Amino acid sequence: MLVSQRAMGGHGLGLHASRSRGAGLEFAQYRAYERGDELRQIDWKLYARSDKFFVREAERESPLTLWILIDGSASMAQRLAAAKTLAACLAELAIAGGDRLGMMALSEDGLALVPPGSGARQRDRLLLALHTLQATGGFPAEATLAPLWERIGQRDLVVVLSDWFDPAVTAAAAKLAAAGREVLAIQLLTPEERDFPFDGGHRFRDPETGEELLADAPALRADYLQRFGEARAALHAELEAAGVRHVDYATDQPLDAPLRALFA
Amino acid sequence: MTPVLLLPAALAALAALALPLIVHLARKTEQRPTDFAALRWLRERPRPRHRPRLDEWPLLIARLLLLALLALWFARPAVFGAEDAIPVVAVAPGVDRARVATAGLRAVWLAPGFPDLATTPPARVPVASLIRQLDAELAPQARLSIVVPAILQGADAERPRLTRSVDWRVAPGAIAAAPPVRAAAPAIVVRGDSRYVAAAARAWGARDIGAADRGVGRDAVALIWTAPGALPPVAQAVLDRGGTVLFGAATPIGGGAATPVWRDALGAPLVERVAVPRGRQLRFTRALTPAAMPQLLEPDFPRRLRMLFAAEPPPPARIAAGDYAPSSGAEPYPQPATDLRPWLAVGIAALLVIERLLATRRKRAVAP
Repeated sequence: MLVSQRAMGGHGLGLHASRSRGAGLEFAQYRAYERGDELRQIDWKLYARSDKFFVREAERESPLTLWILIDGSASMAQRLAAAKTLAACLAELAIAGGDRLGMMALSEDGLALVPPGSGARQRDRLLLALHTLQATGGFPAEATLAPLWERIGQRDLVVVLSDWFDPAVTAAAAKLAAAGREVLAIQLLTPEERDFPFDGGHRFRDPETGEELLADAPALRADYLQRFGEARAALHAELEAAGVRHVDYATDQPLDAPLRALFA
Repeated sequence: MTPVLLLPAALAALAALALPLIVHLARKTEQRPTDFAALRWLRERPRPRHRPRLDEWPLLIARLLLLALLALWFARPAVFGAEDAIPVVAVAPGVDRARVATAGLRAVWLAPGFPDLATTPPARVPVASLIRQLDAELAPQARLSIVVPAILQGADAERPRLTRSVDWRVAPGAIAAAPPVRAAAPAIVVRGDSRYVAAAARAWGARDIGAADRGVGRDAVALIWTAPGALPPVAQAVLDRGGTVLFGAATPIGGGAATPVWRDALGAPLVERVAVPRGRQLRFTRALTPAAMPQLLEPDFPRRLRMLFAAEPPPPARIAAGDYAPSSGAEPYPQPATDLRPWLAVGIAALLVIERLLATRRKRAVAP
């Protein structure tokens, strides 16, 4: 079940604690009567016992909107399948909990948007959009990211699936978190990036920039692991400073590990 | 047992060992392209690696070993002193082979090629030559016994002196003797004007006696030419046919070394043989007059003149076996080295198969 750290607001029926307390289905608490409350909300039995006016509040089940942001840049090529599977798992969680679901795939030539909705048909729309998603180009520019601010509501839950190598991703996530959205970060890594198990000579190629490096792998290993570890530590510090919860995931691990870490 | 290289200069082929080393050096240009998204944290080290790396070292080792063995093959490895020292018993043909005990021995016939005792040997063999050959071919430490019949045929003029002491056993049996040779003189043609020679020829019944200008038959193989003058072509024709010509002292003849074939009582040569490429060329060394050659008047002059043209009788070859027992004491012959190249060829073939298997297996990088 999708668990949000904050009390959520909204209308309709959902499994989350709703910010709007009012006439609902379940009893939540009693509070003192204030001017402006509806008279029918006063609990008359409690008045008979205590001779004071108390208003009965109920939990209103309200829906959560989950936004899945998938990084569609070229560096995601080796982990796009894992990202799509994670997105599908998140979609299942959302739909099972009756929440609304939306997706944005961030690529250089535009955002592929699936507007938020709920129900089984939303799952199908999401899976169709995932199916056609390819990892090409770089991270989109600021102007292309405009729908991010326009579409994602005040109290929506945002999950960002990316490798987080590009600082622009971190900047966008921090900006979203600063704007009051709850942002969850899943960093997808390949086992090769995590361990650097290469042996012998290789021609390393950056898929996004096309930059190539001819190197003897064992000679570079220690240096790479140190620098990469430092970069990851810096990323974690930045995300925590921005208030973004993050979890790492390598493609050789079971898929439910990051979801459990975030939502269990 | 001393291993040795018969052609050590061929080890210069070991220079080819450098080739697989060069080929197997890890190459930087043709590297495996690998997509790596975290490239920005991967930076080339400023100092270059100073230890060259070799790819595929099992294949490299196989190739180096193959080239080394090939160079060794060209250097002709051999081993001295690796002959087998099995005792040998040689049986002369004609001896009953059942009388010879062959347990633990190598039993051969005393015949060319030294065939095994199970086969049938030729009837006539050059016994002395074969004894010497067997002694020379066997290893110095191998013991030799020779079984011969009571009378030996095919002996030569010297009692064999071998490099080892031989067990000389006499057994019942007989070697087949060579058939007797008729030493008949051919019909001798006499040309010239010496009346002593003509008289001698008439004494033994020769018909073809005449002056120098009478021709000589096409098939004459014996000629006496006593006419003065140069060497006639008819005489040369007889020589070319392989025949014998006896020239008088006056005829100038060419030829090589001269050996006397008829000496007088004092040992001075009367007739000498002059070596020519074809035929047998004889000449009188003195003029055919009684003053120069008193033997002309002796009663056995015709017979001795005729004997000059007789075929040479075969040398005597029959001897009692007890008198022909070999003695020892000769210097041992150096034995040839055993060639190791066939075994090395087998090893090279096996190594070639291994190298090809290693080179063509599936889990293998593209280069080398």
